[in-house]
Amino acid sequence: MRRLPVYLLIDTSGSMRGEAIASVNVGLNALISCLRKDPQATESACISIITFDKEVNNVVPLTEIADIQLPEITTPESGPTHLGKALQLFCQKIDEEVVLSTKERKGDWMPILFIMTDGKPSDILLYREMIVEVKKRKLAAIIGCAAGLDAKPEYLKELTDNVISLDTTDSATFSQYFKWVSDVVGIGGRSMGATDTLTLPPPPSELHSII
Amino acid sequence: MANTIKIKATDGSDVEYIDQMFDAGGMKDVYFSPDKSYVVAFFRDKQDFNAKDRLQNIVGKYRDNIFNQAGGDYWKDLYCWPTKIVEYNGKLGLTCPAYQKHFYFTKGSINNDFLGIKGKQKEGKWYASAKNLNKFLAPEEKGDWFKYFQICIRISRAVKRLHAAGLAHSDLSYKNVLIDPSAGLASIIDIDGLVVPGKFPPDVIGTPDFIAPEVLMSKHLPITDSKRVLPSIKTDRHALAVMIYMYLLHRHPLKGGRYFGDGFDPDKEEERKMGADALFIEHPTDRRNSNMKREYDRDYTICLPFIDVDKIPYTVCGPYLKKLFNKAFIDGVKDPDARPSAVEWEDALLKTVDLMQPCQNPACWHKWFVFDNSTSPKCPFCGTEYKGQLPVLNLYYSRKEGVFNPENYRLMVYNKQLLYMWHVNRFVYANEKTTPEQKIPVGDFHFHNNKWILINRKLPSMYDKDIDKKIEIGEAVELTEGKRILLSKEDGGRLIIVQLVK
Repeated sequence: MRRLPVYLLIDTSGSMRGEAIASVNVGLNALISCLRKDPQATESACISIITFDKEVNNVVPLTEIADIQLPEITTPESGPTHLGKALQLFCQKIDEEVVLSTKERKGDWMPILFIMTDGKPSDILLYREMIVEVKKRKLAAIIGCAAGLDAKPEYLKELTDNVISLDTTDSATFSQYFKWVSDVVGIGGRSMGATDTLTLPPPPSELHSII
Repeated sequence: MANTIKIKATDGSDVEYIDQMFDAGGMKDVYFSPDKSYVVAFFRDKQDFNAKDRLQNIVGKYRDNIFNQAGGDYWKDLYCWPTKIVEYNGKLGLTCPAYQKHFYFTKGSINNDFLGIKGKQKEGKWYASAKNLNKFLAPEEKGDWFKYFQICIRISRAVKRLHAAGLAHSDLSYKNVLIDPSAGLASIIDIDGLVVPGKFPPDVIGTPDFIAPEVLMSKHLPITDSKRVLPSIKTDRHALAVMIYMYLLHRHPLKGGRYFGDGFDPDKEEERKMGADALFIEHPTDRRNSNMKREYDRDYTICLPFIDVDKIPYTVCGPYLKKLFNKAFIDGVKDPDARPSAVEWEDALLKTVDLMQPCQNPACWHKWFVFDNSTSPKCPFCGTEYKGQLPVLNLYYSRKEGVFNPENYRLMVYNKQLLYMWHVNRFVYANEKTTPEQKIPVGDFHFHNNKWILINRKLPSMYDKDIDKKIEIGEAVELTEGKRILLSKEDGGRLIIVQLVK
């Protein structure tokens, strides 16, 4: 069965410590639980989670929805936001993991990439290098999420036109956000409009889409 | 705790709902009424005059035409039909009866419902997908093969009624048809998108997997272009055929791993397979789309046996459905006029049910199979061979007295099988018009003291034609090779000739 690979890049830099990271954990749990109830997702969606602070970690390798065991995501006391390094690992992972169409194998759907950060990349040179690399690869969508007032959406906009801003990093906002992520992942099974091709669902009212 | 909002419907009646979104569909946000007997669904986008006019017709004229007629109650279980229009905070919405309880999972998934789907809607995709069915669903939720036939009969009947009224659903899919395989029930939902040819154009092109090839192939054209094909009764027929195939065989008729060349964009590959290059995975001569190993790849094993088209070809559904699947997926993918109508599906499914035999293997979850007209019948799903004698009744009808013609209609007999009026008389049909009186069995079959017998329960003029003796009510007749039994002397009454398969 063709997989839909979904990569979540999550900011775990020092500023996420406290309520923000706790809310992300709650949100991720809700996301997985929601996708497990969607037969379209249980059939094809796979999730990979990469966290980034000073270190970059693939805390959940690309796994089917039903088989995912979510670890508790933690943050260091303080530290930079190595988003560039995270994109580097992302590129390496999709090159390894996403199956391309061949005569024998049908191959996967094009991956969807979600990036969530509450700040800006500290490794800006590498970040810009990696933007070029990411754009070389075939992705179905890249969706940036700038969470909280200190987030700098302009950096994400260098990578993608789809950037969403969250005013706060509390649990209610994150739960809305992750609910929306599950809608994006599950969209394959929904009715298609007569006038458009497949598009992203509208973000919930608490989010601000910057396009 | 969320507030209860009280509003008025456009007809002036009261409508209440709890201000906490329960579900978000592709176009609408759905809220429950306080007593959960109905839902209120608001369109997220502003609706134009045309859309409002359409909704008014759906809750008004079209609804009346189907429900407020003799036998109209029959349809209440087959549709979830909108009842009222509401307008609130600048948003247009409608009220709809809440789905019946049996359309929600009671057990859900295996391992103590590890997916957490208990209490959720039994969306058709759980059942249409071999992977979901094999890997996740609890055995209690799966039903047996007979139930899937009942589901398909009900869906066909509901679509037939819409089409008879000149309406097209336009978005038949596993999201918009609820099914209950534990009881064999189905109900069509999301009726607000109904298309009336020449009056209301569709606002969706359908759901992937169910969109007709000609619609998918022309979707890039502007909506005003004369070559643009939009959903209609003919495209509903494609969706219906796909749905029946998927519920009976748990695979998609056009997804067979066809290869279009290296580096072909996966989205485009899917679009070609469903559109311009639509090719039946079980096409008898063109095998380019019959590479199930490529289609299912790493999930191949978990999806067995359903996706093994050699082990379980579509012909396991019997001769009547084989003919219709050929029309739908060999001729009909290119020629919308060749697609079988909903009436044809209903009829073929009903005749197929009469060919079904219980599998003798108690562990077989299909529990039933269609008799394949062979001398050594076996269940194609578990491979268990039928042991013992198998009576087949060939049905004949009389156009003029004393002369009987075959009518390509057979009834398989099994222990405790029932005989109904639609077997006895060719003018009686098993459909929405069947009266309660006609639903009472008129005879039953038993394997008793090593003999197959038919007991007459209600037929006043049943005759053993071999010895020209009346079989009284309460009397039994043995089914032996070549035995001729007249079921009724009335106009339309059938003669049966027994054939024993050993």
